Amino acid sequence: MSQIMENPKGGCVLAGINSVLGAIDRVCPVYHSGPGCCMQTTAADQGQSGHKNSCFVSGVSIPSSNMLEKEVVFGGVSKLRTTIQGAVDIIDADAYFVLTGCTAGIIGDDIESVTSEFADKGVPVYPIVTPGFAGDSNLGYETVWHTFIDRVIEKDVPKDDKLVNIFGIVPYHDPFWSGALEEIDRILSKLGLKVNTFFTKHQGIETIRKSSAAALNIIINPWLFKAPAEKFEKKFNVPYIRVPGLFTGATDTSEFVRQVADALNLDKDLVESVINEEEDYVYNYLAQAIGVVSWKRFAVVADANNAVGITRYLANDFSFTPVLVIVSEPIFRPEDKERIIARINDLEYARPPKVLFLTDQYEINKAIREEENEITLLVGSSNEREIALEKDIQFITGAFPMNERLVFNRTYAGYRGSLTFTEDIYDNL
Amino acid sequence: MAQGKYSGVRESKPGRVNDLGTTGKQVEADFKKGCLKRADRSFAQGLQCQQINSMAALMSLEDSVFVSHSPQGCVGCAIMAVDMYRVGQAHRGVKNIKNPRLIVTNIDQKSVVFGGEQKLKDAVKKAVERYNPKLVFVYASCASGIIGDDIDAICAQLGKDYPDTIIVPIHCEGFKSKICASGFDAAFISINKYILKNQPVEKEEGLVNLFAPTTVSYADQKEMERMLSLLGAKVNYIPFYSSLEKIRKIPAAQASTSICKVFADEFMKTLWEDYQIPYSHTVMPIGIRNTDKWYRGIAKVIGKEELVEEIIAKEHLRIEPLVKQLRERLQGKRVFICGGTGRSFAAAALIDDFGMELVGLETPTYDEDAQVDIEYLNNIHKDFVVDIANMQPFEQVNLINKIKPDAFIGVPEWAAKLGIPTTHVLDGKRPTMGYDGLLYLGNKIADQLENPGFNKKLAKHVKLPYKDSWYEENAFKYIN
Repeated sequence: MSQIMENPKGGCVLAGINSVLGAIDRVCPVYHSGPGCCMQTTAADQGQSGHKNSCFVSGVSIPSSNMLEKEVVFGGVSKLRTTIQGAVDIIDADAYFVLTGCTAGIIGDDIESVTSEFADKGVPVYPIVTPGFAGDSNLGYETVWHTFIDRVIEKDVPKDDKLVNIFGIVPYHDPFWSGALEEIDRILSKLGLKVNTFFTKHQGIETIRKSSAAALNIIINPWLFKAPAEKFEKKFNVPYIRVPGLFTGATDTSEFVRQVADALNLDKDLVESVINEEEDYVYNYLAQAIGVVSWKRFAVVADANNAVGITRYLANDFSFTPVLVIVSEPIFRPEDKERIIARINDLEYARPPKVLFLTDQYEINKAIREEENEITLLVGSSNEREIALEKDIQFITGAFPMNERLVFNRTYAGYRGSLTFTEDIYDNL
Repeated sequence: MAQGKYSGVRESKPGRVNDLGTTGKQVEADFKKGCLKRADRSFAQGLQCQQINSMAALMSLEDSVFVSHSPQGCVGCAIMAVDMYRVGQAHRGVKNIKNPRLIVTNIDQKSVVFGGEQKLKDAVKKAVERYNPKLVFVYASCASGIIGDDIDAICAQLGKDYPDTIIVPIHCEGFKSKICASGFDAAFISINKYILKNQPVEKEEGLVNLFAPTTVSYADQKEMERMLSLLGAKVNYIPFYSSLEKIRKIPAAQASTSICKVFADEFMKTLWEDYQIPYSHTVMPIGIRNTDKWYRGIAKVIGKEELVEEIIAKEHLRIEPLVKQLRERLQGKRVFICGGTGRSFAAAALIDDFGMELVGLETPTYDEDAQVDIEYLNNIHKDFVVDIANMQPFEQVNLINKIKPDAFIGVPEWAAKLGIPTTHVLDGKRPTMGYDGLLYLGNKIADQLENPGFNKKLAKHVKLPYKDSWYEENAFKYIN
């Protein structure tokens, strides 16, 4: 079920799959698709996410069967076979995943049987039979994990009670993904945990194969990853917790730390000392610039994860006034929407903002344009710059898609990320 | 070839090939003998589809909405045109920078089974209700083409529903062509069919159509307009940053020319056939030789041959001493070039201005036009490798690793990881064209060569994804 959308944020399911695979070290996607899908899907997420793209293969480096009229009419299986063979011969990858473009999906090419020819010979080639038109980038993230759970992750791996898996932050669909994962890794490592981020530290397919050893799956996202988490638990007996939003700032990050500590029964003294140390670090800086950032009434347009984190930081920790929050990714389940609204509205002192779920740029612009309450700061994606200019309000590019800045390890998440965010909202005008 | 007959698919032209590994001398001889065969790659990396070009060509038009009848992923590359449009506004002094209005119908599983016609109707309805545009462009996709949605019929019907909006379907289904420039042709075929419609227009004395693709910077636009105005021409700069009014003026022109060899080349032929507008189809005006050639081409068409020689002489007087300085820095350096059809050959001519030696050339297609350029290049360079490929980085790195050029011109990503100094002649935000662009490019190349530290250090830390064994193989192993 997909909606007509103006200036959509992100790509099709293939774009999401490609983003995830591209963030894993030494993994090679192989496209069984039309001639433009490699470029289009890379551009849809990686190309709009702070100008960083997969170092291994992305865009026109990705092997592709480039299906033309002949393949549309006669089928593209033999083209796919030579494409996979070529990829295996020349690309030094640890695993290959064959993706299904719309063309292959509609004409019904049997991708599984081709990949099994390779798998039978012991070559790690896996099919992902979800065609582009099946959904959006977020679905792509879940689709990859379904594939991993079904075909890649090993059973009977010895348990490690200090190992945790992080889910919910979609590489490239969140421009700050690597910085966020590094901050989460840093914090959890201080608690004595070993962290699978899967997408940093050169973690590769071997990390994924052994991820069933984890003591806990931590989903940092208010709605994504429901089905894969349940499947993971059922198959590998790894329980999960859901952190309902990507935390920014001391309040929410400490809450996250305590939530993880409770689930794993970690030593309370250690946990509290880490929290004290981290909060002290943050407040030591905040105390050096009191009153420097002028007071704002703000609006946020972002994916649910960041909309929650940014809104709660600005309202709870920074005493700004929330006016309007627009969750700008397609979310269909009513209970997910309720969870997101509840989290955004559950503020310590501030009055809850208006929360809207809009994915269409015209409707997003309209909601901001017609908002009765004054807005003096807008945190949004590159797409919202236009309405910010029109309304002449301060604008921070802080969400996907992000085209005006280069992003390596920057993040707004966690303790340290909140300082970066605060630096960014400084306005000397 | 008459408009009605040309399908917009570039492969349909006899003698044009896409997949070939050869050398400059060999390909010239083979083409002459007519024995270049159409091949394919049994293994390949991704291409650019023609839909990307169809969209990019038009997405800076005013008063327009762009409807992509496709799944959401097919508008991924629109970001390049969106970015050029936003930055282009900034360069043109626009304060309130706008987004292009791009609506995707989001073909999904239901549409694949039951057809996506209703989604298209709803999307166009939204376009009209929201923006009351003068133009709505409807782009086909692989998915819409294969499920058989009749976008022509739907657009015709919608045209009756919304008489104030011209609704233009564009047949840029990705699977129809391997050559992304076909997408330019698809866009122009539709502009001719649905906007110009062979209607007579009053001629405007001195008006010249200057066709410009999306990758042309504002600095380049100003340089091209300056050059043409020195010839006394009024420029109709289209379709980049133009409007319905400017498109409607196309038939009023006295002559046409294009900035890119594969942009509007077919359309200019059509304008000759339909409106008897003479045109100049030469080269991309990058480098002295090509800028001269481009300039003389259009001057001849508008009868300013003497004047253009005076101007060229003057420009040379100004530029040549500066080029000489660059030549001293670049003389004899061995260069590998990879680019689109227009820019790759233009870059090859450019390096001759600086006395550099061509050792490898990667370009998407080979045809009559390419033959003219190759004959010229064969006259000044020793035998060089020719890879007829749309990118295919695996072949590129294999060749570069063997040839070990001093410099690489093109998309820098892969050559940089081999430690080769890289520069690009495609910069849609800064000058590259005309006499002044030449100096900018020359300095960029010379400075990069002088100071290659970044790429050299990068190569020590980062490995390309290919197996060591691949570099030992024949680069053209998979072409058959």
